[in-house]
Formats: sequence, C-alpha cells, structure tokens
Amino acid sequence: MSESDRLVPKLVSLLEDFTQDWDRDSEAPMTRDTKLLADLGFESIDIIQLLVAIEQDITHKKVPFDQLLMSKGRYVDDLSIGQIADFLAQHTA
Amino acid sequence: MTTTLFIGLDGCTFTVLDQLISDLPGEGITMPFMKSLIERGVRARLRSTPNPLTPPAWTSIMTGKNPGEHGVFEFIRAEDKGNEVFWTLYDARNVDAETIWSVASRKKKTIAALNFPLTAPAPENIKGAVVPGFIPAKHLRRNTHPRELFERIKQDVPGFDPKELAWDFDKEKQAMESLSADETAKWVRYHLPREEQWFRVAEYILGTDKPDLMAVMFDGTDKIQHQAWPWLDQSLLPKNPQGHDKEMREVCLEYFRNLDGYIKRLVEMAGPDTQVFFASDHGFTASNFVLRINTYLEEKGYLKWGVNDGSEMALRREASDFANLDWSQTTACCLTPSSNGISIRVKQKPGDPGIEPSEYEAFREKLMKDLYELKDPVSGEPVIVDLLKREEWFPGQHMKLAPDLTMVLRDHGFVSIRNLKPSIVHRPSPIGTHHPDGIFIAVGPGIPAAGLVETRKIVDVAPTLLYSAGVAVPSDFEGEVPPSFFSEAWLAEHPVKKGARTQHAKRMEMEQEMDANEQKQLLEQLQMLGYME
Repeated sequence: MSESDRLVPKLVSLLEDFTQDWDRDSEAPMTRDTKLLADLGFESIDIIQLLVAIEQDITHKKVPFDQLLMSKGRYVDDLSIGQIADFLAQHTA
Repeated sequence: MTTTLFIGLDGCTFTVLDQLISDLPGEGITMPFMKSLIERGVRARLRSTPNPLTPPAWTSIMTGKNPGEHGVFEFIRAEDKGNEVFWTLYDARNVDAETIWSVASRKKKTIAALNFPLTAPAPENIKGAVVPGFIPAKHLRRNTHPRELFERIKQDVPGFDPKELAWDFDKEKQAMESLSADETAKWVRYHLPREEQWFRVAEYILGTDKPDLMAVMFDGTDKIQHQAWPWLDQSLLPKNPQGHDKEMREVCLEYFRNLDGYIKRLVEMAGPDTQVFFASDHGFTASNFVLRINTYLEEKGYLKWGVNDGSEMALRREASDFANLDWSQTTACCLTPSSNGISIRVKQKPGDPGIEPSEYEAFREKLMKDLYELKDPVSGEPVIVDLLKREEWFPGQHMKLAPDLTMVLRDHGFVSIRNLKPSIVHRPSPIGTHHPDGIFIAVGPGIPAAGLVETRKIVDVAPTLLYSAGVAVPSDFEGEVPPSFFSEAWLAEHPVKKGARTQHAKRMEMEQEMDANEQKQLLEQLQMLGYME
C-alpha cells in the first residue's frame, strides 16, 4: 500500500468530522475520487479551514499547500481527496 | 466558583449607553439593570488601540499588550512582495502574545471565552471553554474548545442553532444588497436571535461549568451602531420620530432591552460575590465624509492605479473593490481601508520598486506635509487631524508590520481605497464609525460606587481581569490594575501581585494566500460593516 493510499482513510475520517454539520446533498461515502467543491459543497473559505485542520490533525507541521492550490499561475478549480493524499505523501514524507 | 464575570460589548460607547440608562420621554429606561449596575460601580472611558478596530483592540484586551507587541493590526494582513501584495487572514495563531485565557489556565483557573475574535484555533493548554467569534457555522464545531463542548452545547442548550449564532455570510450579504429602509430594520432584527443564542450558550456554560473567569462578548452593539447610527445618536434623531424613523428607533431599543435582560440574568446567576466587568474595544461616533485616500495619493504622485486589462482576474479585482495598484510605480498607498494606514514602500534590495532606505525620513516628512494639507472643500477644515508614526505608536517586536503612518480623520471615519474621484465627498447622511473611546465598567465586592473616573487604557483590562480572578499580573503586561477601580480596603486585603513574564509558544504559522474570491468575500464583509465606502 502506498503512502498516499494510507492517507486517504485519514483524510476521509477528517472530512467526515469536518462536514458533519453541513447540509450535504449527497450521503455517498467519500473515496479517493470525491471532490471538495463538486461533491462536498466546499466554498473557497472552507478549503483554508480544511488545510488548517490537516496540519493540526494529520501532518502536525506546516505544509507548502500553495503548491497544491496553485497550478500554472492560477488557483485550481477543485481538488479530490486523492490529489490531497498524493500531495501530502510527496511533501511530508 | 466564578469570581470574575467579564461581558464584552463590541463598540459600546457612553454617548449611547448613557441615553439608554436615562428616563427618556415616551421611552422610559431601556436598560434599567445596566443603570443599577453603573450606579453601584465605577466607570471610565477606555482609550482604544491607535487604530480603534476590532481585531487589534480585542487582542489588546486579551493580551494586555499593544498591537506592535501582539502583532495583530487588522482583519487582513498585507504582505508586500515587491511587485505584488498578498493578503492573508489573521487567526489566533498570529496572536504573538499569551492571552489572559492561557495565563489563567496555567495558574489552575478555569475560564470561558465566548465569541471573542481571534480565539480560533484555541491553544491546547486552555482549561475551560472557548467558543470563538467571527467563525462561520460550518467550522464552529472544529474550532470549539474542547472539541466535545460543541456536542454538549448542541445536546443541552434548547434551541441551539449554530447557523443563527455564528457569522452567516450569505444572510449578512442579503442585508447589504439593498439597504432600503426595510432592509436596515431587518438588519437590526437579524441580530436579535443571534445575541439570544450567545446568551443561551453563556448561560449554559456559567451554570454548568462555573468557570473562575467567565467571559462573553456581545457584538450586535457594534453592527447595529454601524448601520443604525442615525437612530441611536439623539442629536441626529427627529424630535418625534414617525414612520421608518420610529420603527428603526424601536427595533434598536428592543435590541438593547434584550441585552439588558441577558446581562441581568448572567450577573444574577454569577451571584453577589462575583466582580463584574464590562469593556468595549472602541466607541462610536458619526462619520460625515469619505476620504478616498489612494485617489489623493495618486494626485500627489505617490501611487499609480493598476491597469484593468479586462482579464477575469482584473475584473474580479475591480469588482472586489480591492486596491488594484501598479506596484512598480507606487511609493506610498493605503492597502486596506480599515487600517487607516499608509504604507511607504522601501526598496529591500537594488532594483526593487519603492524609495531608497536612506530617503525614508525625508520622504515621510514630505508625505505628512501633503496629507496635512488636504482640506475639506466645503468647510476648509483639515481632513486628517493626526498622523501616527509607527515607531511612536506601535512599539514592539511587530512594529514593522504596522503601517508607516496611521491617519486620524477629523470625523474618526475609515478611509476608502476605491478608485473614484473626487478624493473627498460628503455623505448624504451620517453613518456610524469607530471612536477611540470605549467603555470600562466594574461593579461588585471591593469595587467602589465611584462613578466616572479617569480615562483608562485598553491594555489595563487584561491585568484587571487577572487580578480579579486571583492571578498575579505578568510583569510584561503594558497596563496596570486601575487603583480607582477597587476600594482601599479591598486593595489592602488583596494586594496586586506582580507575576513572572507571560509565556508564549510560537504557533505554527499558516500563510495561505487568499484567492480573489475570498478577498471579495472578506471585503464585502468589511463593506457591510461600514469600513468601506
């Protein structure tokens, strides 16, 4: 199992806690392909809060998230749980 | 047992409070309980931080230090990177000083801090309850300390609704979309259940946890005064208000009548042995004109506006009303409207935009001269009455984060940074703005019925609360326990103890750039609060 695959369930459990009071349309279980904006109803301000939560609960250190959020000089449109896991596996090893 | 009850009233000012505790014809006494407390206690005007604004001022109340030391100057922090300026949101991790919540916790006291800004995420050492203010409902659970407290509140407080309690951006935005007569009344009415929610949470925590230092902040006072100032300032109110004026006056009074009830309940629950304190982060007054400061700086040759190239980014920026400047040709500018600050751009290395470091003093002198020369086109009076140099007003480890100059306007208003002409316009009707003098009131055992005493400093609140809670005052606090707030007998029996310096662990910093959308959201919030044109 890759480091990224090990991180996915941790992120899912964090996100389940994170979104438990939200009015989510879909109750489908979260997977590697679940997208923050499209599937979980995130807004941009929520992403910032999530990154803080990841640093607090999972990495316990500062992560260069700007590299995840910026691609070719602009902000990415959406992020999947898998993309975050891949990024964390790469940058926190 | 709760020895100390602290009730924060955001933006509360004696000019309004004094009317609300007076017997006014046709209205009676709106806040009878507050009146009885004030008559039994001591009160002082409380001089706010140099720029009287919620984040730096509440942080000074919580840390006993000035912004130059605690490092919080604004809602948003602007970071100059030469050819671009980045904005980040301040949170509790940017507070670079130990708070009274943490000092008291280390001294084995339990605390509760409800609805204070910049208290999330809470440091782990806090013994007690933190429910942060200025956090959207979606994130309240994770930012409540300890984490399980949120569930407890949800289960045990009847009618608890985080959406009603927390900052609801969309709802606030609706109120801003059209500030018709009806909408303004709705705006005030929207704060009635919000405040009730905070009261219920405070009542629950005080009743079940009985923290030694119990603190809750009500912030509807600030918001209502921003939007409804003409109906709160008696000099602006028609003699016999009718129609919309009457409706607005009534809904404002309803808010304060409710607030008086919440205060009564909390004070009575705490009991006669509890010392009770009230403070506000700043006062309020009327603003009559708008100063478009960057327009004036452009006229004087200090800045150049950014070109709107029609790109999506540029359009969003223009629409977001954010300073869109040509950073390569700007030597002095105002970055955020609520800072009332002017930043001078000094070259960090050869080739950078800005002035040479050796030119700084002369440049600043000329800039000050130009700013003082600005006159009101109607009255001929000066527009800027004071310019605060950062080394004089923001001493400390973070002095360099402060604007080089902080402007004090004749009407105490906040500047606008929009690209509009002319540089000064009079408002069609006055709006509420922050005044440097807030309130500080104390009542309870050992506190004399001394009435109004000398003006105190905002950094005096922290040592006073710790002293009341039986905690030694850290030696690096900048303020003092006001001797006029306690009787001689009480002070003799309970001498003020000086303690060791505060302890502060640097917390992980999060320097996440905000994207244009977030900037827009935040600016809309500031606009809604009246900080922007």
